[in-house]
Amino acid sequence: MSENGSLLAVEDVNAYYGESHILRGLSLEVESGEICALLGRNGAGKTTTVRSIAGATPPVVRSGSIHFRGKDLTDVPPDDRSIGGIGLVPEERRVFSNLTVEENLHMADVSRNKSNLIRRNIENPAETVDVNVIYEAFPRLDERRDQLAGTLSGGEQQMLAIARALRQGPDLLMLDEPYEGLAPQIVEDVEDAIDRINNEGTTILLIEQNAIAAMAISDRCYVIDQGEVVFEGPSDELKADEEIRQQYLGV
Amino acid sequence: MSAVQQLFSILLNGLQLGAIFALLGIGLTIILGTMNFLNLAHGALYLIGAYAGMLIMRVITLRTGLLMDLGIQNLGLGWGFVIALFLVPLVGFVVGVLMERLVAKPFYKRPHTDQLLVTFGLALIVEELVKQVIGGNTFQSQAPDTLLGLQVSGPISLPIVGGFPRWRLVIILIAFIVIALTWLFMEKTDWGLIVKAGTLDSEMVSLLGIRIDRSYALVFGLGAALAAFAGLIGTTFETVRPQIGTQRALVPAFLVLVVGGAGSVRGAIVGGIVLGTVLAGFQQSYAQWADIAMYALVALVLIFRPQGIFGSVEVEE
Ligand SMILES: Nc1ncnc2c1ncn2[C@@H]1O[C@H](COP(=O)(O)OP(=O)(O)OP(=O)(O)O)[C@@H](O)[C@H]1O
Ligand SMILES: [Mg+2]
Repeated sequence: MSENGSLLAVEDVNAYYGESHILRGLSLEVESGEICALLGRNGAGKTTTVRSIAGATPPVVRSGSIHFRGKDLTDVPPDDRSIGGIGLVPEERRVFSNLTVEENLHMADVSRNKSNLIRRNIENPAETVDVNVIYEAFPRLDERRDQLAGTLSGGEQQMLAIARALRQGPDLLMLDEPYEGLAPQIVEDVEDAIDRINNEGTTILLIEQNAIAAMAISDRCYVIDQGEVVFEGPSDELKADEEIRQQYLGV
Repeated sequence: MSAVQQLFSILLNGLQLGAIFALLGIGLTIILGTMNFLNLAHGALYLIGAYAGMLIMRVITLRTGLLMDLGIQNLGLGWGFVIALFLVPLVGFVVGVLMERLVAKPFYKRPHTDQLLVTFGLALIVEELVKQVIGGNTFQSQAPDTLLGLQVSGPISLPIVGGFPRWRLVIILIAFIVIALTWLFMEKTDWGLIVKAGTLDSEMVSLLGIRIDRSYALVFGLGAALAAFAGLIGTTFETVRPQIGTQRALVPAFLVLVVGGAGSVRGAIVGGIVLGTVLAGFQQSYAQWADIAMYALVALVLIFRPQGIFGSVEVEE
């Protein structure tokens, strides 16, 4: 843990796509056990933030630091971050459409193979979650184990993306617009799933376009604009702060 | 020859050519699919396989080249085909892994043009080295007489087709065993799963905790081993000279890639057989049109199905 006990501490990060400066001295913290929402307009830098945390490049983080459980992630590659407990449900799902549901979920086991872990120094590998536990939580996936992921409906693919991340047993699960393109009924299902995951002890960093929904489910919020934090605080406070909501979220 | 007879003999010859095309295409396609890397040195691996195979199997007489100038007249181990069958893919694998680490890796994130330039340069270097060291002359093909005590030379009488070279049947058999093993590897192992997932979205694979570069080296080595194996097979029925890498391996491998689709092993197998059969058909009827027919087929695929028969991505964005 870092000094103040945050699970994740992003400090003064400057991140670039080529020469364009996207995150401008961005800082945020996520406390263990909470649901933290990251809000902002299109192009505000939300995806760039989670990609930086996950270690995906580009963007390139040129300065600032990211600590996870007190450990500096600067030189930690994305695969080690994943095994170390940072999970990501990326924008647009990115399930492996040419693999079956079962094979998509099997990637967690592949990542823990001896041949994959050899000559790597991962301090606290997260423990994977048994696939049957996952199937119990997502019965729709259970019924479609042998179906190619590419043939699933959008909502089912979203479930699969979440399930795939959950199998890694992450301490921190980052979800980048998990409701994108889903019917309201499915949104509720996914929301329930997120709530359940959180109740079972996983910390959540949630990116959401729909600020109302995000404020409802989260404990705390960050609003970012042009790569800078313009609001941070309890979600109730944001609900009350009409000016910020009007200016940066348009609601 | 009756029409039916001719048809079956075309199919058999097509299978034989196609198996070799498929072996070449599989390597190229999985390397392009997973690493998004275009390898013009793929033919050089065939060349290395052919010369390594020849030198392991036989003892050849040098007529030109550096080694001859140094007073070496006879070169080769003369250990026979079976030993070569194990050693040549191994040589290919090692060369492939080295190629991946030293040449390909620094160019993964570079544009395809840069990759083409560096690998084409490498292909020229390998070809020129072979020419300078072992000589630029042509060596005749040589197939074994016996294999594990069984006679494999001479003609065999098949139903319908009639007389057919026994060795060609053996080649078909061995090549398809190797193709089947490759397919099993891709379908049934975790490595294969990584390769398939990586073909679609390699970044996502690493975001799931998998160190994908390791699979890259393995995939490259595997593709190289298959190309070298194809080279070994080639020496048993075609002449060997330094230019075969480009002429007999690189060009067919790319045609297979276009027909089968980038990243698809199944596509490479089917594409190889289709191209092999078309080529065999024309070779037996209108030989002078054979190459043109093959390019025409590829052009048709490019026009009507640019992503190839089984491909999910187009060869060039
Ligand atoms: N690969 C890239 N190359 C160059 N610029 C990029 C790239 N990805 C994003 N950007 C730019 O970075 C800025 C932040 O993008 P980002 O994807 O982080 O926004 P976001 O907050 O996630 O938006 P959205 O709500 O639309 O998903 C945008 O101006 C975008 O154009
Ligand atoms: Mg985004």
